[in-house]
Amino acid sequence: MTGVSADDEVRAAEPDLARPAGQPGTGGSGTGAGGRRTGGPRTGRPLAGRLGRAGWLRWIWRQLTSMRTALILLFLLAVASVPGSVLPQEGIDPAAVTQYYQQHPSLAPVLNRLSLFNVFAAPWFAAIYLLLFTSLAGCVLPRAFRLVGSARQKPPRAPTNLARLPASATYATDLTPDAALDSAAGLLARRRFRLHRGDGWVSAEKGYLREAGNLLFHIALLALLFSVGVGGIWGYKANRLLIVGQGFANTPTDLDVFHPGRLVSPTDLQPFTINLTSFKATYVTSGPQLDEPIAYDAGMRYRAQPGGPAKFYMLTVNHPLVVDNVSIYLIGHGYAPVFKVTDGAGKVAWDGPVPFIPVQQTTLTSEGVVKVPDAQPYQLGFAGVFLPSAVDQSGQLESAFPGPLNPRVSLVAFKGNLGMNSGQPQSVYTLDTKGLKQLPITPRPLSAGQTEKLPGGAGSITYLGYQQWVSLAITYDPGQLPALISGIVALAGLILSFLIRRRRVFVRAVAGPDGGTTVSFGGLARSDAAGGFENEFAELTRLLRAEHDGRAMQARQVADGTAEVPADADDRERGEPSTRPASPPAVAAAATAITAEGDTETAAAAAAATAAATATAAAAVANPEMLTSPEEE
Amino acid sequence: MPVNTTLADTSNGLLLSTVILYALAMLCYASDFAFARHRVLAGVAGAAAPAGSPELAAMPELVTAGVGRHSAPPVKRTAGASGAPSAGAAAGLAAGSAGEAPASRWPSGFWLRLGFGLTCTGVVLHLAAILTRGLSEGRVPWGNMYEFIGAFTCMAVLVLIAASVWYRAYYMGLFVLLPVVFALGIDLTVIYTPAGSLVPALQSYWIAIHVTAMIVAIGLFIFGAVVTTLYLLADRSQRRLAAGQSSWSAGIWEHLPVPAILDRLSYRSVLFGFPVWTFGVMAGAIWADHAWGRYWGWDPKETWSFITWVVYAMFLHARATAGWRGRRAGWIHLAAFGCLMFNVIGVNLWITGLHSYAGMS
Repeated sequence: MTGVSADDEVRAAEPDLARPAGQPGTGGSGTGAGGRRTGGPRTGRPLAGRLGRAGWLRWIWRQLTSMRTALILLFLLAVASVPGSVLPQEGIDPAAVTQYYQQHPSLAPVLNRLSLFNVFAAPWFAAIYLLLFTSLAGCVLPRAFRLVGSARQKPPRAPTNLARLPASATYATDLTPDAALDSAAGLLARRRFRLHRGDGWVSAEKGYLREAGNLLFHIALLALLFSVGVGGIWGYKANRLLIVGQGFANTPTDLDVFHPGRLVSPTDLQPFTINLTSFKATYVTSGPQLDEPIAYDAGMRYRAQPGGPAKFYMLTVNHPLVVDNVSIYLIGHGYAPVFKVTDGAGKVAWDGPVPFIPVQQTTLTSEGVVKVPDAQPYQLGFAGVFLPSAVDQSGQLESAFPGPLNPRVSLVAFKGNLGMNSGQPQSVYTLDTKGLKQLPITPRPLSAGQTEKLPGGAGSITYLGYQQWVSLAITYDPGQLPALISGIVALAGLILSFLIRRRRVFVRAVAGPDGGTTVSFGGLARSDAAGGFENEFAELTRLLRAEHDGRAMQARQVADGTAEVPADADDRERGEPSTRPASPPAVAAAATAITAEGDTETAAAAAAATAAATATAAAAVANPEMLTSPEEE
Repeated sequence: MPVNTTLADTSNGLLLSTVILYALAMLCYASDFAFARHRVLAGVAGAAAPAGSPELAAMPELVTAGVGRHSAPPVKRTAGASGAPSAGAAAGLAAGSAGEAPASRWPSGFWLRLGFGLTCTGVVLHLAAILTRGLSEGRVPWGNMYEFIGAFTCMAVLVLIAASVWYRAYYMGLFVLLPVVFALGIDLTVIYTPAGSLVPALQSYWIAIHVTAMIVAIGLFIFGAVVTTLYLLADRSQRRLAAGQSSWSAGIWEHLPVPAILDRLSYRSVLFGFPVWTFGVMAGAIWADHAWGRYWGWDPKETWSFITWVVYAMFLHARATAGWRGRRAGWIHLAAFGCLMFNVIGVNLWITGLHSYAGMS
């Protein structure tokens, strides 16, 4: 062991003024400091030879759970996230990654080897956050045990000299020391302080919820990580492009993209079916926001199980359809021109819509390919551009609006081998022109119903019109609700730990040589993040004085025979026998003391002096240059 | 929903007036520094007590000095005179009220009063500009960059006013209004976007929750970052003077509270801002789940809000760690704010993602 405990380091930075000189620090005795991370072990490397394997492990553990390591890991986490926002990511936009490969052919493979196109699933990223969460667990769990321990323990003894505390006040009362302490204890107990009463002193502590909130926050972060993990293991994500009039079933083969969690098997998928019955996009038709979308409405008919009742849902952005705990989202849309292709043999080799992908979001200029593998004698392929609202811009045809005001398609035709039987997976949106020969036709914008004849008797293609398609995201995430709950708990813990301060106050009452009692009152906030302990202490001082003065008056009235009922409402509620007028010994003692010393003039002077002293104390409380209260978060 | 252009024009006029008022307020705050005889510090003392600041904690003599006053010889005798208890109670009350408000909450001196008055008038116009903009569009008026900057600068000024009154941080007026005026100037000229409707992705009640939380957090963070900048400069100047070197800015800091108080003020703004930011990120995640089908997808905006959150968390931890608090924590604070600003501006300008509806192209 190195001998420097976590407590020592923190205490060096934050003098624990409340710890009485004679009391050894018993592991922080339940104060926040005891469980805090250290700024970093300052002992350096353990000496080889002196430490066994256990020593080394302990040293590593201590390094890992130190605050300095946590800070560095947080920093690394932040830095490691940056490339994920700057470089294209596989999980977000695979097409952009492909494009990056084309633009930087030599750099891209290097970046790929470093997982920089998949940062948030990279082993080094996982290493950082797993280390961080291990560090966090190593810090938080012992603190949680300590908090439970400290909740069982009593607050520490009152220090001998309360004037040394960050906030303190002294005043005189003519109650006996015991009566003064009794009523002080009562006042503090009513304000829900935890009390520890000793000979001539009362210690009180409050605000344990602060540490609880802090722990809750950190534990909830761990829970959040687990929830994300649960979603990744038992959840799945899928995409499906759906043309109006078509439908699909939620099975892996019928989905375009399917990312199952580690423990998801195809039979686990919820067996719903969805048909897209309509799609309508509305755009701004004039003004500065021209072309901007206003609404997307996708009408769909769905069944939760095959053979179940069919229901209708109008799917819009921000309003997903939820079937069987699976959410279906509208995430994209586009046009699917409808083509009829007749091959060289005069047979209809293709008749149907082909989804084109928007290449220009504001005007929905879209590109796509038509592959006709069944065409004879050659396979046919077409690459086309679809313009929803074609206008002639100085000889160049462009789309001027995303809505279908003047839809046109222009095509480039190929014949030959599409390469679809080569065994290589092929994108349906690109044409592999390796085995293809471009046909010499002059591209012209076809409007609905127009036909392009292919040269050399290869056949013809007719543009029949267009359909619209939507792309749906289908997600099932069983970790979602736990993640939400973790998030809410984390936030609640954070707010608790920021709002509540842990503070201790101490009261000492000493009988003066000539019968009066000197009450000293001191306090400190162990954690006063949001500030305000000074005001609370001033308020407590005021209440305590008022309580003592009130009791002293009662005592005098009893002694004078003028008392009828206790003046203090709190007193009645509490019914503390030792200080009530009905309790003869204490009152008699107090009355005796007062009558023995009774002297009107001196009393008035004393009261004035006391008032002055209190005012000084209050001013001191309010003046930051005179007082400090150690704080730690 | 058609845009009410009359209201939209009114909003533009109001925002322009706001900028002018803020600029005038800045002049007044500067005049206060230049001409006022009093030290602003005197008015600051009460609320912003630097409890826990390492500098002061390391000065036991201050504590002892304070203690010495109120541990004056205890009053020896009290007696049962009828007048005494009420006198005592009165003293107690006086003590209580003195503890709460040793100095007036309100600004003193001609220039400070005028500057504060202009700031308050300006913020009323600013709020009116935001309100009329929202009414003209029939929606929450934070749907693009122009509106967003208008909103969070307004929040920053509201934070300034609150801090001025609660913590008597009137000395912050000049320094907070400076970036606000600058940002609003750019906003009105370069970034200006005419009033309009929202794209479908933004048509959700979550915009009122998520973006509002972000606006509040950014307003608080702006204030905190300005205070921290002052803290670092003042701290540097103080250390140079202590080392016997010259400091060009020493004259400025005479008008400001000691660095420890600045440090604490900036810390407080983060204490308020961090949970709000956390809430904003969470609300954003819930909204993302409604709109895009996942609550977290490492979209550039999400990534940078995460980075911002992590670096602010670093600041909070650094401030509680021996050897890191003070200057180092201050630098981390500024780094966090840099991440925030990159997220607000840089991500919109340079990185395409799902959050690209800033209306800037």
